[in-house]
Amino acid sequence: MFELLGDGLVTMLQWKYLVPLCLGTLIGIVGGSLPGVTITMTIIVVVPFTFGLDPLQGLAAMTGVYVGGSAGGLVTASLLGIPGTPSAIATTFDGFPMARRGEPGRALWLGVWASFFGGLIGGAFLIFVTGPLAAIALEFGPWEFFSLFVLAMAMVAGLTEGSMVKGLISTGIGLLITVIGTDPITSVPRFTFGSEFVRAGFPFLPVLIGVFAFAQIMTDVEKLGRPGTRAAAAARASASLRVSQLKVLGEILSRPFLLVWSTVVGIAIGVLPAIGGSAANMLAYDQAKKFSRHPEAFGTGTPEGIIASESSNNANVGGSLVTIMAFGIPGDAVTAVMLGAMTIHGIQSGPLFVSQNPELAYGIYAAYILAHPIMVLILGVGTLFLLRVTRVRLAVLAPVVLVLCAIGAYALNNTMQTVYVLLTFGIIGYVLVKLGFPLAPLILGLILGDQIELNLVRAIMTDADPLLFLTRPISAGLLAAAVLSVALAMWQHLRHQRRVATADGETDF
Amino acid sequence: MILGRDGIAGLILAGISLVLFVHSLGLPHLPIVPVGPGFYPRIVLGFLGLASLALVAQDAMAQRARAERAAGEPRNHRLVLALFAAFGAYVALMPLAGFRLATFAFVAAVQALLDPPRRAAQWAVLAAVALGTVTATYLVFETYLLVLLPRGTWTGW
Repeated sequence: MFELLGDGLVTMLQWKYLVPLCLGTLIGIVGGSLPGVTITMTIIVVVPFTFGLDPLQGLAAMTGVYVGGSAGGLVTASLLGIPGTPSAIATTFDGFPMARRGEPGRALWLGVWASFFGGLIGGAFLIFVTGPLAAIALEFGPWEFFSLFVLAMAMVAGLTEGSMVKGLISTGIGLLITVIGTDPITSVPRFTFGSEFVRAGFPFLPVLIGVFAFAQIMTDVEKLGRPGTRAAAAARASASLRVSQLKVLGEILSRPFLLVWSTVVGIAIGVLPAIGGSAANMLAYDQAKKFSRHPEAFGTGTPEGIIASESSNNANVGGSLVTIMAFGIPGDAVTAVMLGAMTIHGIQSGPLFVSQNPELAYGIYAAYILAHPIMVLILGVGTLFLLRVTRVRLAVLAPVVLVLCAIGAYALNNTMQTVYVLLTFGIIGYVLVKLGFPLAPLILGLILGDQIELNLVRAIMTDADPLLFLTRPISAGLLAAAVLSVALAMWQHLRHQRRVATADGETDF
Repeated sequence: MILGRDGIAGLILAGISLVLFVHSLGLPHLPIVPVGPGFYPRIVLGFLGLASLALVAQDAMAQRARAERAAGEPRNHRLVLALFAAFGAYVALMPLAGFRLATFAFVAAVQALLDPPRRAAQWAVLAAVALGTVTATYLVFETYLLVLLPRGTWTGW
């Protein structure tokens, strides 16, 4: 293992791979620091640029974006009070008060170093756990894979904010998109209504880009014209970010339990399918507050809050990469795009990925590890420049991002039809968001739909007894976990409704 | 019973599920395969239909809450519609005018739409951003990544 990792590091240090990794990390930091531009959006923009690269170069660039984006959100969160990405929301709670009271450098660098350590611990988990997990997954038959995918979707639908029914519908829409086109077993066209283009099914990437990018941009455009805070806050941000790095490092390393526990929370959330850094940083912040001797200090600029949030969101990246590499299931929306890009590069992710593509797997590990010092270097040199970048107007950003989305869809197979798919699903995605449907379950349904069908049909063709899904222990356990997940979400939802009703009753009275 | 937005959305989705479910019953079934091509879609459509009906029921029961819901912050939906229209026009124009001209027009038009320039200098920035986007994307994708970007049937360029 260590020999392969050493080889991976040596490979990644070649200019051919180091340049895409550095550029990816830089773009990730810029995208992550831009409020309104998520890491998903940034990686969507980067994907078309990877089409012309070899697979490892492309994966290095995307890994860089992921790591850089997870750290980039802290810049604006700490210095402007505006989280660059949802995964940096909790950083705002203490980072911004610390910056406002005259310690912007401390706030920033506590976050940077916490991201660094959290990411590296997450990297160790990624390297040591992916192989054993993939070995377990190799024992899976179609029954277990079907049940695993059902569990993934149940968890995502159940954990969506707001209506769980909408989460389930969103999952259903994602699955429905995948059944349009030719049946994978008998090649009979389904729901194509005579269209030759639709016969091959909707290409995954234009659908994903359309749904995510348009929903995001249009939601930002809706808010255009409101009193702006970004430029004004950027102008107010202190120009001096000087701080003693040794002191900051001491502050973090003197709290080993906080660092490790927040990292564990981040990894655990990352491993769970499609939850992502936004939940990781909030949960780690909450845990840090509960364990703290001074919970009352949280929200006033305490270093614990920043360390918890930032170490967890970068560790979350490692956890998400484990899920994609061991099971072929995306840990969040960013890895969903990475999974799509891997398919375009002809790479099959899943339990056999590490054993069949050791150069690629250890190349990803190496890229992930190296992206962290690169991230620290970039932030060390370019934070003030980043603050200027955050002033770029949406009027400039929106058309450029939309053009890159169009090229990304077109470049997939050099036809305009994929651009039409992009526009169609852009409209659908925006309408769904306006109606309050979460997009994460849709994307997961879209990614897993084909695999669910294949494994279900394979299971039935192997043995027509449907009880096997419940009598095979792993499959039964996974299905039980799926039911439990939905039941738990329903119970939490009902409890929340009862509390709201009680509060309303007290207010009315 | 007056349905809200969720209820109407649920009814539409339930209707689509029903139509496609009926359509799936007509898919040909090969005797050598134990499950036909409509087997899995029917599971998905059944699930989607039931969840949509649950949304209708949920909405019908939540009428009081809906009536009491406070109006949110004002949203600029006209701008969103205009941006969708601009992207639609861009997609339609690309095969006719070619990637370079269509992209220049789109980037310039969207900038003017979202933040109308008032001074000559702002117009110059707008044009520079549009030209820069076309040049950079063309150079990177066509020259470096070898993606043959669309040529216009009108312009041949």
